[in-house]
Amino acid sequence: MTTATASRGMERTDPLPVTGKRIATGSALYNEVLEFIYDEAALLDEQKFDAWAQILAEDISYTAPLRITRQGPDRLNTIVRTTLHFDDDYGSLMGRLQRLATKSAWAEDPPSRTRRLVTNLRVWETAKPNELEAHSYLLLSRSRYEQSQLQIMSCVRYDLLRRSGPGAFKLARREIILDQSVLGMANLAVFL
Amino acid sequence: MLNESKPTLSDGTRIEDLINVQTREVSMRLLSDHEIYRLEMDRIFAKTWLLLGHETEVPNSGDFVVRDMGEDQVIVSRDRKGDVHVMLNVCPHRGMRVCMAEVGNAPMHRCVYHGWAFRPDGSFIGAPIEREQMHGDIFPKEQLGLRKARVQLYGGLIFATWNIDGPSLEEFLGDSKFYFDLLFCRTDGGLEVLGPPQKFIVPANWKAAAEQSASDGFHTLTLHRSLMETGQYGRATADDIYANAPAMYGVDISCRQGHSLRCIPAEVTFTMFMTMDELKKLSPEQRLEVLPPPGITKEMLPELKRHMSPDGLKLMAKAPPQVGGMFPNVLVLFIYAPRTDGKYSGALALHTYVPRGPDHVEFTNWIFAEKSASPEMKRDMMANAVRQAGTSGTIEQDDSDTWPHMSRNARGAIGRTQTMKYGALLGEKKPADWPGGGYVYDGFTKDDTQWNWWLYYRELMTVKALQAGDQPS
Repeated sequence: MTTATASRGMERTDPLPVTGKRIATGSALYNEVLEFIYDEAALLDEQKFDAWAQILAEDISYTAPLRITRQGPDRLNTIVRTTLHFDDDYGSLMGRLQRLATKSAWAEDPPSRTRRLVTNLRVWETAKPNELEAHSYLLLSRSRYEQSQLQIMSCVRYDLLRRSGPGAFKLARREIILDQSVLGMANLAVFL
Repeated sequence: MLNESKPTLSDGTRIEDLINVQTREVSMRLLSDHEIYRLEMDRIFAKTWLLLGHETEVPNSGDFVVRDMGEDQVIVSRDRKGDVHVMLNVCPHRGMRVCMAEVGNAPMHRCVYHGWAFRPDGSFIGAPIEREQMHGDIFPKEQLGLRKARVQLYGGLIFATWNIDGPSLEEFLGDSKFYFDLLFCRTDGGLEVLGPPQKFIVPANWKAAAEQSASDGFHTLTLHRSLMETGQYGRATADDIYANAPAMYGVDISCRQGHSLRCIPAEVTFTMFMTMDELKKLSPEQRLEVLPPPGITKEMLPELKRHMSPDGLKLMAKAPPQVGGMFPNVLVLFIYAPRTDGKYSGALALHTYVPRGPDHVEFTNWIFAEKSASPEMKRDMMANAVRQAGTSGTIEQDDSDTWPHMSRNARGAIGRTQTMKYGALLGEKKPADWPGGGYVYDGFTKDDTQWNWWLYYRELMTVKALQAGDQPS
């Protein structure tokens, strides 16, 4: 069963492995990462996109794989990295920000009111002394127009943070693992 | 209650009157009415050919994916002989869902409720405890298989219909098949999916999306104006977009069955090609070399020449079909894709708009490349398609934010009495050396193709021969 099901674009279906030493919750380094993650969420919720662009590394990979419902021996291999919901690099992210700055990015004009609730942060060292692996849960709520029901998106984010100065990081990789196989949002015109 | 023999709604409104042929108006009620929705399931989604995927999604024996024909969920699977089957995902025993995964490989599908089991071709294997004959003594095993749909592959695309004795897929595609051949049947290896489809729910009636997919070119100028403001489309400042009207002039084609495509020269749309003045001086042969159609490279041109008539090839050189749709719920997007590094690529995608009740639609987005494309090109085409189309695509995120408003408006007591208007027709006009058939509209893109979509919708919803009563056997 496993060999045949792996046939079409499901080769890497595991979460990202972490090998480095865990950074203790509440330690000074952990708190630094936590502040970065909190500040980043605020930048996006407040739509300060120029400031958000400043914390993106120029070699960033920003992706959101598909999730898929499977059964049997492969049932836990639910992450599909062939088709993606986001498949961006620095240039294309800048393109998205450039579009948001136009007079006609209707999907976010009028803008959504969003709240990024970030929790369950876990941090590890990596093979590179200046890079940290930071995994966080994100619950995004989104309100558009007069809708009284919030749109909700839940995910875990596998971030790679690169030290860019004292007390400062750049986001070098973000992989967004969404929990829905059929997304309940009409678009991802917002960043996760 | 709905009168099934005459297509009349419970308040006495005749469905044919909701589409006014004289004034070319379509009642907004069609975007919200529950009775109409139920009738659409019978008369359209249980009757026409529907796109369910591509055979490269199920390459091996036992491979399956679960898809939808209207509100009916089906298993699409490949059997040991290599044939693709489509069958209702409903256990004939007690109506339970048989296959719980959305993709996988299984030599048989066993219902988790009482254990009735079925082969990948849908045939019934048996119920547990064979000696007790738990499938009963009324129906023989041959009659207890999963309900099978009629299947036809076209360019590797999997189509199915419940209309067992109805028109063939070729008949259904009609005059548009010549043009679809240019997109789906043009290389030795054919197309392949680059992964499973994106799926997401839009709170809108399926027809808000589907009528746009019938080659609505005009909305590009306003709804997708950000493409011009950011300099991808047009050679204009934000203030003279309407004067320059990029992406508007070309040749639209459609046919009686409501399918359509927009054949647009690249330099009419994209800023980067508009400045390539030498394009105009090139012969079709030279043009193909300099600017191959989306998804095609120079190296693949010999394949194209083997698969297309010289006339078809000329069309692909000058104005390849880039966007359009198949009735009832398919969008075709085979576009040039300018990249951030100043070069260009292609993005090939097909969408289906699967109804999920009168007020919701499931947007399914497959992304393709030619099998013979290099791994790097496939990777690049995936990225380009994702950035422009589907969930996060900067083009289509504006579309999915629009359709819910139309659908909401159609629920008001007054709103549902308003109409959508298709008053701006260009009229048929075929360029002198045009190679294909169907209805051909040369010039500024207008309402013709979308109006044809509605006329076919009206035909299916009202014609006696297609009534819900004639159950396929």
